[in-house]
Amino acid sequence: MLEIKNLHVTVDGKEILKGIDLHVRAGEVHAIMGPNGSGKSTLSYALAGREGYGVTEGSVRFKGRDLLEMDVDERAAAGIFLAFQYPIEIPGVTTMTFLKTALNAQRKVRGEDELDAVRFLKLVREKAKPINVTDEMLKRALNVGFSGGEKKRAEILQMALLEPSLAVLDETDSGLDIDALKTVAAGVNALRSPERAMLVITHYQRLLDYIVPDMVHVLSGGRIVRSGGKELAHELEKSGYAAYDADAA
Amino acid sequence: MSDRAAQIFAETYDRERTALPGTDGWLARRRDAALKSFVEAGLPHRRLEEWKYTDLRQVLEKAAFVPAPAHEGAVVLPDTASASAFAAIDRHLLVFVNGRHRADLSKAVRLPKGVELHALADVLHEQWAKELVERRFDDARQSENIVDLNTALMRDGVALRIRKGIRLDKPLHLLFLAADDGASHTRNLILLEEGAEATIFESHIGEAAAFADIVTDVSLGDNARLSHVKLQDEAAGAVHLATLRTRLAAKSHLSSFTLTLGCGVSRMQNFILFAGEGAEVHANGAYALRAAQHADQFCVIDHATPDCTSHTLFKGVLDGASEGVFQGKVIVRPHAQKTDGRQMTHALLLSRDAAMNAKPELEIYADDVQCAHGSTVGEISRDAIFYLRSRGIPETQARQLLVSAFLDEALALVPHEMARDALKLLIKGWFADEGGRS
Repeated sequence: MLEIKNLHVTVDGKEILKGIDLHVRAGEVHAIMGPNGSGKSTLSYALAGREGYGVTEGSVRFKGRDLLEMDVDERAAAGIFLAFQYPIEIPGVTTMTFLKTALNAQRKVRGEDELDAVRFLKLVREKAKPINVTDEMLKRALNVGFSGGEKKRAEILQMALLEPSLAVLDETDSGLDIDALKTVAAGVNALRSPERAMLVITHYQRLLDYIVPDMVHVLSGGRIVRSGGKELAHELEKSGYAAYDADAA
Repeated sequence: MSDRAAQIFAETYDRERTALPGTDGWLARRRDAALKSFVEAGLPHRRLEEWKYTDLRQVLEKAAFVPAPAHEGAVVLPDTASASAFAAIDRHLLVFVNGRHRADLSKAVRLPKGVELHALADVLHEQWAKELVERRFDDARQSENIVDLNTALMRDGVALRIRKGIRLDKPLHLLFLAADDGASHTRNLILLEEGAEATIFESHIGEAAAFADIVTDVSLGDNARLSHVKLQDEAAGAVHLATLRTRLAAKSHLSSFTLTLGCGVSRMQNFILFAGEGAEVHANGAYALRAAQHADQFCVIDHATPDCTSHTLFKGVLDGASEGVFQGKVIVRPHAQKTDGRQMTHALLLSRDAAMNAKPELEIYADDVQCAHGSTVGEISRDAIFYLRSRGIPETQARQLLVSAFLDEALALVPHEMARDALKLLIKGWFADEGGRS
């Protein structure tokens, strides 16, 4: 599904990722853990195609296509979804309008017919209910005045609706209390499937108690310095990142 | 003689004065005096503070407008969305071509009793018309002085008087079409007596290189209510100069909205005078400019009486090398306690070459008031664009969504539901053109 080879990414003239290799197959959930400043968010933005995240070396193939040749919205339509650590507030655009515009834009690219208001409303309500997104939230401007938990739930709703092949969750646990975390994790788990891969980026092991990964990678100093099974997350919880920080320095 | 363009207007006056309406009465002397003041002052220019951003002298000198001809024979409305914007709304329609009323294109039938709708020429001998024409507010003289040009040369326009307690049954649509190049001077007089109500649409369209000089004088009696929706969408070679003067008696209500899709150079002046207690004004607008368009909104609100409310919101987007101007002033006189005055202007620049000049001012001489003003100029957030694109929304559509959302806050204030939908549709069309350009 996703094949990253020797990926180097520069932001503001500074090299942040210094040769990432990562192979994610369909159906797998990979966790990327690491200390602050290790390049976790840079990796997620580089995959989404954000402006200013320049790839200087390496390659990324997604479902056999050269991801780096694609625009941000092309990547999304091809099946990449980034759940933001800090979802952007969009004044004046209701959550409902936004969801409909996004879904229909992707359907159009895939050659599917656009959903009319009635079919769309039915679909969005069906997806919203399990993660506790109310009609009232859907009528509000996207993310404007949403609490931390509401913002993250709105991200998961977008993911559920857009049904990506690869979901990249960037610090989805940040700013959530335990109940909100459980709701969000349940929403994510419901989307696990043999056709879908996930990249869960987190600083803390806590999220991985609820979204159990197949593989855990430790990112430090712009490189993956260690990979292992889910037990690696528990080991990190005990020992911390100190050892890896030293490596990076 | 101050400038060449003023000279052309003076020559026009010499040639046409005897043919202009109202020459047999008080107006002949009034026109002479107005022309004299106009010529002495010349056209306003950028060295005058209130005309700093819009040098009308330079603009008109370049274009050297002679009078627009009377357009005889068939007239075809341009096939544009703006020309038909209000067509689906049940309304009375008065069409003016090159500044002259065309009865053959108009349809204003079976007006309610107490609604008097006339051509300007037919009411000029009446006292109420004289009072409206001679009235001055004097809150922004540099701007109001240009009304002299109109007073000297005004030829046609609508005169609407609604008697006490009468409600105009459906909107009155004034459609001004510039079919041929040249200058026209239009004067509209609107008097709503105590408790009278009306909705007026005004559209200015046309593909000619025309100079439209329009003055609309409005007087609202106690408890009268006027809703006014104006749409302006004219040619790149056109110049639009409009002055609206509204005096509000006690507890009267004015709700106005202007959508400016622009022309070469436009300046809209809005003078509002509260002359009775408890009156209310909502004077809002939106604009979408592109290419080399220049649009200047000038708005002065004089709270001369206590307990009145004025809310103004202007929002606009500027693309290409367009230039926008917002100059607003709210004056609160010493005894105008309990004034609620708000004036906001927000602009979004869509291109590096576009520019916005905003100058909101408050002059407050009373102490028990609630007043606020604000002005912002910004660009579309790159983070927001990235966020929308990361969900699969193509860049053009993402920009359109964000810009529409920005303008929607203002468009929500259009005081007539179907007109609101019509204007929203025009904004959509504006984007579609935009897409075609890029």
